[in-house]
Amino acid sequence: MATEYFLRMGDGQKIFMTKEDIRADIEAGSADAADLGDIPALSENEMEHMLDIITSPGRIVGVEPGMEVPVTHDIGAIRIDGDQGNSGVGIPSSRLVGSMIHERAFGADTMELGHIDYSYKPVKPVISQECQTMESCQQNMIIPMLYGAMPNMGLYYTPDGPFENPGDLMKAFKISEAQDSISHAAEHGIRDMTWIMQKLQNVGCDGVNFDTIGAAGDGDMYASLHSIEALRKEFPGIYIEAGMAGELVLGMHGELEYDGTVLAGLWPHQQAPLVAKAGANIFGPVCNTNTSRTSAWNLGRSVTFTKAAVEASTIPCHADMGMGVGGIPMLETPPIDAVTRASKAMVEIAGVDGI
Amino acid sequence: MWFFPHGCKGGCNTANEELFKTLSDAVVSCKKDDVIAAVGKAKGKAPAVELIDNGLAAGMNEVGVLFERGKLFLPHVMMAADAMSAGVELLQDELGSSGGASSKLGVIVNGTVEGDVHDIGKAIVSTMLQAAGFEVHDIGRDVPVQNFIDKIKETNADMVGLSALMTTTLQGQKEVIELLKENGLRDKVKVMVGGAPATDAWAKKCGADCYAENASEAVAKAKELLL
Ligand code: B12
Repeated sequence: MATEYFLRMGDGQKIFMTKEDIRADIEAGSADAADLGDIPALSENEMEHMLDIITSPGRIVGVEPGMEVPVTHDIGAIRIDGDQGNSGVGIPSSRLVGSMIHERAFGADTMELGHIDYSYKPVKPVISQECQTMESCQQNMIIPMLYGAMPNMGLYYTPDGPFENPGDLMKAFKISEAQDSISHAAEHGIRDMTWIMQKLQNVGCDGVNFDTIGAAGDGDMYASLHSIEALRKEFPGIYIEAGMAGELVLGMHGELEYDGTVLAGLWPHQQAPLVAKAGANIFGPVCNTNTSRTSAWNLGRSVTFTKAAVEASTIPCHADMGMGVGGIPMLETPPIDAVTRASKAMVEIAGVDGI
Repeated sequence: MWFFPHGCKGGCNTANEELFKTLSDAVVSCKKDDVIAAVGKAKGKAPAVELIDNGLAAGMNEVGVLFERGKLFLPHVMMAADAMSAGVELLQDELGSSGGASSKLGVIVNGTVEGDVHDIGKAIVSTMLQAAGFEVHDIGRDVPVQNFIDKIKETNADMVGLSALMTTTLQGQKEVIELLKENGLRDKVKVMVGGAPATDAWAKKCGADCYAENASEAVAKAKELLL
């Protein structure tokens, strides 16, 4: 019987496959990305390298010395304290303590302060609290301390916000009304995100993480790009990280543009140049994990998309690697065998600058 | 082929193919004005039913493919759907005249089942049945099961057409059939099912009398069952 190797399904289930089958899945995953994105598939050598990574015997793997990349954590400030199934460990601690533990004990290269709602809109009423915490973090820590949250434009629509829900309008066949609602919400989103960061920059914040851009579709992406542009103009030295919500910008509006490019339907390699153009320092490409495919298929696909984004990008790319993205299975606490394999492949094959 | 006065089923010549392509491209552009202009130019150059089947509907199918591939999104599909409906509307009079049947062939209630808002295909089926000489009562989309029964009773219908475009709403066709039985109407009323996920096998399984793949076939099958 042919030797079988341990790997995972996209939902985390343990499976065993032969080398030939794993190789075939890597190729099929890469072909899927190439087809959808109209980008090159991985070369034979790259696929062989990925096969070696997946089938390597250790439980965890790592990059070769000298190939290490910086890692950034979203919302790490509350990961120690967090205790409601959000991958926190439930040890009572302030956000300052959480951040300092990441800096001094875990070796994080940058850190961000985040709010429990982790969206920009609800930061507005507690901005003073956020500014004060940011200031004490800055006074106690050395690594760059950003502020991070999600643009989360969904919060601007009924029932959570003032604008009529475009989904409801679409259902009633009110297409132009739905588009207007998205445009109005986007204007408010731009204003809010920019205002929040103006306040935080004034207390010494090092930069901003726009986390999960495009979660509410092209309007979300539109607002984020414009806010990035405004912040870059006002604060030339601000460090801006722009990470995506998913691999494809969904067209909720369908016709919004940035710099003459229609946002709906953009894949990572097309998103990267726009993010750079808006003024970001770092682009965070995302590739979604398909839970009914193997980790080999998912990694083949993710690395193909990410590699194309790295090549197209004029700014460094820090791939989004976590539960359900970047070829990692969709599990609350992703298994370390899969996380390390996917990370190594992203660095060594896709050539990402960070994670 | 009663409704093809010019005798050209299936496109056959290059001029027609170009015509169909223009119509199809106009639907894919999702622009109502383009579709209206294209239909205006094409009208009379080929049978209306072909302009719809090989032109507009082909374009709508392409829109479906582009939607699945993430090239077009819901607003685009809605705009294309709206444009296509406007195009079909413009051809309505031709559909009516091409049939030539004047006597009433039977009464048909036609609708899209509950939970399903897709009605473009169903509307075409209604139009063609009407053009063929049936008295058609199109009761719209997302129609509650009971409404089918009420309308059948009210119009003393001979047949009911049930459209479903999603795997999740297909079951609704069976629900109408069950309710027909409960109301003692099943023997009096023929049932025709249609829509992308429906098949001949499904028609048998859910207890319908027939399945038709498209509007022309719907007319043929209705005639088979009712005449
Ligand atoms: C246009 C469209 C829409 C439009 C509909 C506008 C309207 N007024 O009808 C809009 C944008 C509103 C829409 C909405 C949605 N849609 Co839609 N839509 C389509 C699309 C692209 C084309 C359908 C169409 O009009 N075709 C052209 C007409 C001419 O063809 P037809 O409908 O098949 O009709 C012919 C035959 O089937 C037959 N026929 C039809 N009815 C009947 C009835 C009888 C009695 C007979 C005999 C024959 C018959 O004859 C017709 C003429 O030849 C299809 C994809 C596709 N390629 O089919 C998806 C599709 C049907 N939609 C889909 C989905 C998922 C949705 C949404 C849930 C999307 C969302 N996330 O919101 C919603 C549904 C909401 C709801 N509750 O119903 C899926 C269904 C998947 C599944 N599980 O089955 C499809 C397959 C797309 C996809 N692959 O994802 N949609």
